[in-house]
Amino acid sequence: MPDPLVAGMALALATAPIATSDFPPDDLRAIEKELQIDAERAPAAALGPAGSPVRARGAANPDISLTLDAAAAAFSAKEPLMTGAHDPSRTGFNWQQLEMGVEAPVDPFFTFKSFIVFAPFGVEVEEAYATTLDLPGNLQARAGQFLTRFGRINAMHPHGWDFVDQTLVVGKMLGSEGNRGLGAELSWLIPLPWYVEAVGSLSDAAGDATARSFYGAADLGVASPLDLQATGALKQFFALSRDWSLAWGLSGANGPNASGRANRTDLFGTDLYLKYRPLDPGADHGLSVTLEALNRRRQQPGSVLVDTGGYVAAVWRFDRHWESGLRADIVEGLPGDPLDPDWSMPRYRGAVSLTYRPSEFSRLRLQGNADFPTWQPPIYGAFLALEVTVGAHGAHAF
Amino acid sequence: MNMNRSFAAMMRLTLAALVLLAGSPGASAAGKLQVVASLPDLAAVAQEVGGDRVEVAALAETTQDPHFVDARPHLILKLNRADLLVHAGLELELGWLPVLVRGARNSRIYDGTPGNLDASTAISVKEIPTGKVDRTMGDVHPTGNPHYMTDPQNGGRVARAIADRLAKLDPAHAASYKARAEAIQKRSGEMARRIAAQFNALPEAKRRVVTYHRSLTYLVDWLGLIVVDELEPKPGIAPSPAHVAKVLAEMRQAKVAAILQEVYYPSRTSQLVATRSGAKLVLIPGFPDFAGGERYLDNLEEIADKVFQALESRS
Repeated sequence: MPDPLVAGMALALATAPIATSDFPPDDLRAIEKELQIDAERAPAAALGPAGSPVRARGAANPDISLTLDAAAAAFSAKEPLMTGAHDPSRTGFNWQQLEMGVEAPVDPFFTFKSFIVFAPFGVEVEEAYATTLDLPGNLQARAGQFLTRFGRINAMHPHGWDFVDQTLVVGKMLGSEGNRGLGAELSWLIPLPWYVEAVGSLSDAAGDATARSFYGAADLGVASPLDLQATGALKQFFALSRDWSLAWGLSGANGPNASGRANRTDLFGTDLYLKYRPLDPGADHGLSVTLEALNRRRQQPGSVLVDTGGYVAAVWRFDRHWESGLRADIVEGLPGDPLDPDWSMPRYRGAVSLTYRPSEFSRLRLQGNADFPTWQPPIYGAFLALEVTVGAHGAHAF
Repeated sequence: MNMNRSFAAMMRLTLAALVLLAGSPGASAAGKLQVVASLPDLAAVAQEVGGDRVEVAALAETTQDPHFVDARPHLILKLNRADLLVHAGLELELGWLPVLVRGARNSRIYDGTPGNLDASTAISVKEIPTGKVDRTMGDVHPTGNPHYMTDPQNGGRVARAIADRLAKLDPAHAASYKARAEAIQKRSGEMARRIAAQFNALPEAKRRVVTYHRSLTYLVDWLGLIVVDELEPKPGIAPSPAHVAKVLAEMRQAKVAAILQEVYYPSRTSQLVATRSGAKLVLIPGFPDFAGGERYLDNLEEIADKVFQALESRS
């Protein structure tokens, strides 16, 4: 430990005034120069955003957002046969969902994201997963509960959809909540001249609303990896021009179904997303076209059930605030389908929508549906839906 | 089942391909530093500072509104190879840049690393809200106004910050980066003073302007202009007829000389108001034409010329 007397003398010497003539002129010139540079930069240090309350808060707390979706609806039938868990499904006011999004980096190695949905009857954790930040070789992994990246719309939450309701094929083949489960995923950005991402995941095959073509409501447990759902996807993107973009996906999933020992289900899908957004000065219109098709093969005792479905949707944006959309759904039906015994014949549905966005945080949507389940009379529906978002909500992928 | 066997074979092939290709080198192994700037003005400055020792790409196009850039996945490839990401910060790119950076799988450019430069840390930020901020006030940037590159002196400061980062990443050429940045800062200071003096010579009545969005604060402060009002009633909220009528009345009363707005905002209403008030509508390029080789200071000088001509011609 230093002697207090010696330390005190050292301090006194260090703080005693010294004439500047005691320093070599070369040192003084160097100090003056650096001080001048520091002075030029001083305002940034004093006034820059680093010390602002928002930035400081963001460093410690996750970004949290709340999105409310609610709709007034009218249907021509008492049972409108809507497939989505968050679709308006009865005449009158409909609570679709209140979604809380939470997102933050965990540490230099992981980031965390969760979507929790509140409804009058309870709370549901839709997604909660960690994503790696620093794997080598362009790899990225995530683990937890997540929506699988099968197709285009499955990984989106309702506030990312262009229409108020879920598409028929997703509801019928993937589940009313979309295909998701606890599991792990590995994706790889392939080093090619254009964007190609390969995705593979293993996840729970159980869940009536989340894996209905697999174990579905019958949770038969996991005795081996074959009791899990395996999903693979290849995502490609082509910047056709400055204004035109094309995304193309191929997806496949395989997992057990509950119809008998070792019976399995295969899902195959392809999706196309074409977007026109002119970048000319002042242009605020645009067009997007989405096409998605799925094929499903289910082993059953003594047979294989094969069905196909899909949709095509086009959205025309008039300006910053208004857009209009058209969508056509077509999904096959199978006689004797144990999952959908009534859906024995094809079902066609058309939708038209008009959306007004007062700002990027709110939208009002008017949508009309004409549904033709060929095994029963048509069903007509109309929705006026409100969506508002508060808080810090993460950016959506393209 | 055949389908099962084929699926399993496909998975095995995929895994084998992953193992083989995961170790393949990225394109950033090339000799030049790969710099990606979120916006063309930052890209133009980075190119001048880095010279032929860097390869610079801009994510946003020259005519795009920087608040609303599509996160097109091919931009992820640029970020995947980047050694340095330069961005405006202050939440300007919040709606699109984070999703691109996450997708890029490149830890060299994450926040807090030498490869991530928030250029706003180099300048004095204006309009940092001091009271409560909420969205009833419109799309207010809670950490301050991020459109600071319309003041050439800020461009000079950003040039020095870029030079510092390039020097860290490529110490062998630090002196070259520093010298180039100092030259830019010197030129920007001289240009700023020369043009400000030109505008200050105008009578006050000819320096009154209306802007479309509150994005030109740094420009009007540099040029000594007086902003009578904005056409947007609140930032990011479309002009309402009542608000536009109020602005028109204010413009007539104050004999406003010009309406200033970036090219990416709708201009029909502005043109109407300009015509009816006797003002000139000046459409300002949002960014230099970086892809076409335009330099940052040349673009600002061109903007200042356009504004000056509009103000000077006001009777």
